[in-house]
Amino acid sequence: MIMGDHQKHRILMVSDFFYPNFGGVENHIYYLSQCLLKLGHKVVVATHAYGNRSGVRYMTGGLKVYYVPWRPFVMQNTLPTFYGLLPIIRTILIRERITVLHGHQAFSTFCHEALMHARTMGYKVVFTDHSLYGFADVGSIHMNKVLQFTLADVSQAICVSHTSKENTVLRSGLPPEKVFVVPNAVDTAIFKPAVNRPSGPEIVIVVISRLVYRKGVDLLVEVIPEVCRLHPNVRFIIGGDGPKRVRLEEMREKHSLQDRVEMLGSVQHVQVRSVLISGHIFLNSSLTEAFCIAILEAASCGLLTVSTRVGGVPEVLPDEMVVLAEPDPGDMVHAIQKAISMLPKIDPQVMHNRMRELYNWHDVAKRTEIVYDRALKCSNQNLLERLSRYLFCGAWAGKLFCLVMIVGFLLWQLLELWQPVDDIEEVPDFSLPHNCDEDMLEENPVK
Amino acid sequence: MLNAEQDIPDEVPLISKPFTVYTALELLLPTKLNIPGLWNFFLLNDVVGDNFSIRLSLTVFPYNSFDTAGRTEIIELIAMDLSLANNSSSPRPRWRKVAYGGMQPGYDDNHTDESFLEGMVMNASVVKRDMLKVMLDSVSISEYLCIVALVVLVWTCTLTTTIDENSLLFIDVSLLVSGFLILLFTQEMLSLSLLLHYVLNISFFITVLYVLAPIYQTLTRSISSDSIWAVAASLLVLHLFLHDYSESTVKAPGVLKNPALTSCISVNASVVASVFIASRLPSRLHVFGIMLFSLQVFLFAPLVTYCIKKYSFRMHLCFSISLMAMTLSFVYMLHRLLFVVLLSLLVFVNVVCPYWLIRIQEYKFEINGPWDEAKLCFDITD
Repeated sequence: MIMGDHQKHRILMVSDFFYPNFGGVENHIYYLSQCLLKLGHKVVVATHAYGNRSGVRYMTGGLKVYYVPWRPFVMQNTLPTFYGLLPIIRTILIRERITVLHGHQAFSTFCHEALMHARTMGYKVVFTDHSLYGFADVGSIHMNKVLQFTLADVSQAICVSHTSKENTVLRSGLPPEKVFVVPNAVDTAIFKPAVNRPSGPEIVIVVISRLVYRKGVDLLVEVIPEVCRLHPNVRFIIGGDGPKRVRLEEMREKHSLQDRVEMLGSVQHVQVRSVLISGHIFLNSSLTEAFCIAILEAASCGLLTVSTRVGGVPEVLPDEMVVLAEPDPGDMVHAIQKAISMLPKIDPQVMHNRMRELYNWHDVAKRTEIVYDRALKCSNQNLLERLSRYLFCGAWAGKLFCLVMIVGFLLWQLLELWQPVDDIEEVPDFSLPHNCDEDMLEENPVK
Repeated sequence: MLNAEQDIPDEVPLISKPFTVYTALELLLPTKLNIPGLWNFFLLNDVVGDNFSIRLSLTVFPYNSFDTAGRTEIIELIAMDLSLANNSSSPRPRWRKVAYGGMQPGYDDNHTDESFLEGMVMNASVVKRDMLKVMLDSVSISEYLCIVALVVLVWTCTLTTTIDENSLLFIDVSLLVSGFLILLFTQEMLSLSLLLHYVLNISFFITVLYVLAPIYQTLTRSISSDSIWAVAASLLVLHLFLHDYSESTVKAPGVLKNPALTSCISVNASVVASVFIASRLPSRLHVFGIMLFSLQVFLFAPLVTYCIKKYSFRMHLCFSISLMAMTLSFVYMLHRLLFVVLLSLLVFVNVVCPYWLIRIQEYKFEINGPWDEAKLCFDITD
């Protein structure tokens, strides 16, 4: 690897969301970490314990994962305790000689706490926001305040799309120059189109998503019967499970579409490709979406995508690879008809090759690296300078935030006395021989 | 010098390519028109739009510093640059608001231009309210306050035996008949079957109430009267607090929409309060009379007032104001302090609160944009 002139970082990724849980954030952290490791940086992941998976684990490429024994409380989130994580985060930061702490996802309490403690200890922190939030309801107002608190003192922030950046800037009051847009990517090596595309007059439309309100299942309920009525050769495959599944099943009964709408139930991530390649068109009906990795996976498998024009979705693919529609059943039916008429001109392999040019995790890692470089260039600030930033967060909230930070600072000083830095053993670095997996694979058949 | 160059017109339409820069070239002259400098200048103007054409107003040039050859050189250079720009990809393409295709050459990932937040809409759905409208709307709240005050008045009079059971029953019957008549006139759906349906239901309701009256009378015998007053008062406050002032909880037949949970709680609170009060009365007939009265008012008065309001707003206003006047005069006869309290409450609801609402309107700040969750344009029927 020729990255000699670059500074090597030692990065701690923090989030409540990591494997064995599965989703967009988990994937992002994993792939980003792997690519950063390949660039020669040291990456450690910290998350909360999942079931009996607690302690330290190693993943592919020597990626070290700390499963902190801290039970999740609701929706895989840990209970907010403000200072409960301070000792263990401090120990990890010192043991691994971390230089940059990178937190993910706005509703991960683990991430917020870790970012706060890292700032107290003077580390540079980067935060990635993966989701969009409104401004109207009580939940959003609360989340936005928490985000404002965390981001008041963050070195740099990353968003996954321009829409997400606008949203984050509005919610947190960060200057836009501090917020970088680094999108997600897709592992094009996994999501390859089928060798033999399903042929014949039949057109298969694939839907894979959690069947919940935010994914627009109610739109599907309106759209599917209409498309089936207009096009007798269209068949639907729906993968995923959730509370709205009943609505889809009701629709199927009501319009007697049992033979044309196949419901697969929840689909494991490893099976997603095999489901995708059995179709021609991918349909995404989300009502809100910061980025939508599902579209990338579908496009990488050579499917033409029909999607609602919400959030960051219009930024994700070039116009010729996606048909966008307003989140309205009539418009979506039009979009699907347009996609069906475009279908003969689509070559899955060409689309796949295009995706390989457009999205690449290595590119994401290199762009993130630049953000780390910038973060390290930020000046160090003492407690008083930092407190003044918190004070601007609101009439009451500002003072409360300051209080939280001061108590955190005192606790940290106490910890410094109780368990001095010198007493904490540093982890020796080891580097896996390069491409060891591939080497082993090559050697094995010989023996 | 100038005269020698008559063949160059004042304005040279150099190239009408798909872009427009209005440039005063003299800015470039100090840099001796080297290509990078020229490019920088054009890029500064690049943001104008997709269509721009070069217009050189040669008249503003400090010609003295250039001879003929110099000028043709300038024009050639620009022409070359522009053709370069149009034929091949330009060194610094326009920044696009897209996430695909990796880092955009020449721009950092934190690049922010004027397209930032262009999709943001502020205060799109804010309704401008005017004082009079809010005041008129708040009349229905004070109307209902008066209705409840009248019920409490009747309760007190019955408890102090100012009203005997016969007059109580007379009030019941007259209320029932007048309410019925109002419903029939405002709803405009007089049919014999519906009338029969109503009469059947009401007679069934009254019979059950009469049968249950002895139970109500002895229901709370073991509870002290003080607790009963306290609980009844707090239940009434709860009732007023949760009451649905915009609509009626009891619907006219044929309405599909279910009432909200809070309004159901509100109705239940009022019914329990009436049962508690009824249990302190001396005779079964009293209990029956007061229960019938309270239930009629709490369940059907909102429906009747709602029907009146829907039928004609003017009628609603007249009805409300006369009701307020009536209540105030009754309360004045009963107790001076209560009168003052009720009057100030009505003023608060009808004048102070609307004024307050108008005042805090200016702090209303709504942000909408592409990040908002899309709203479904149809109803979901689960």
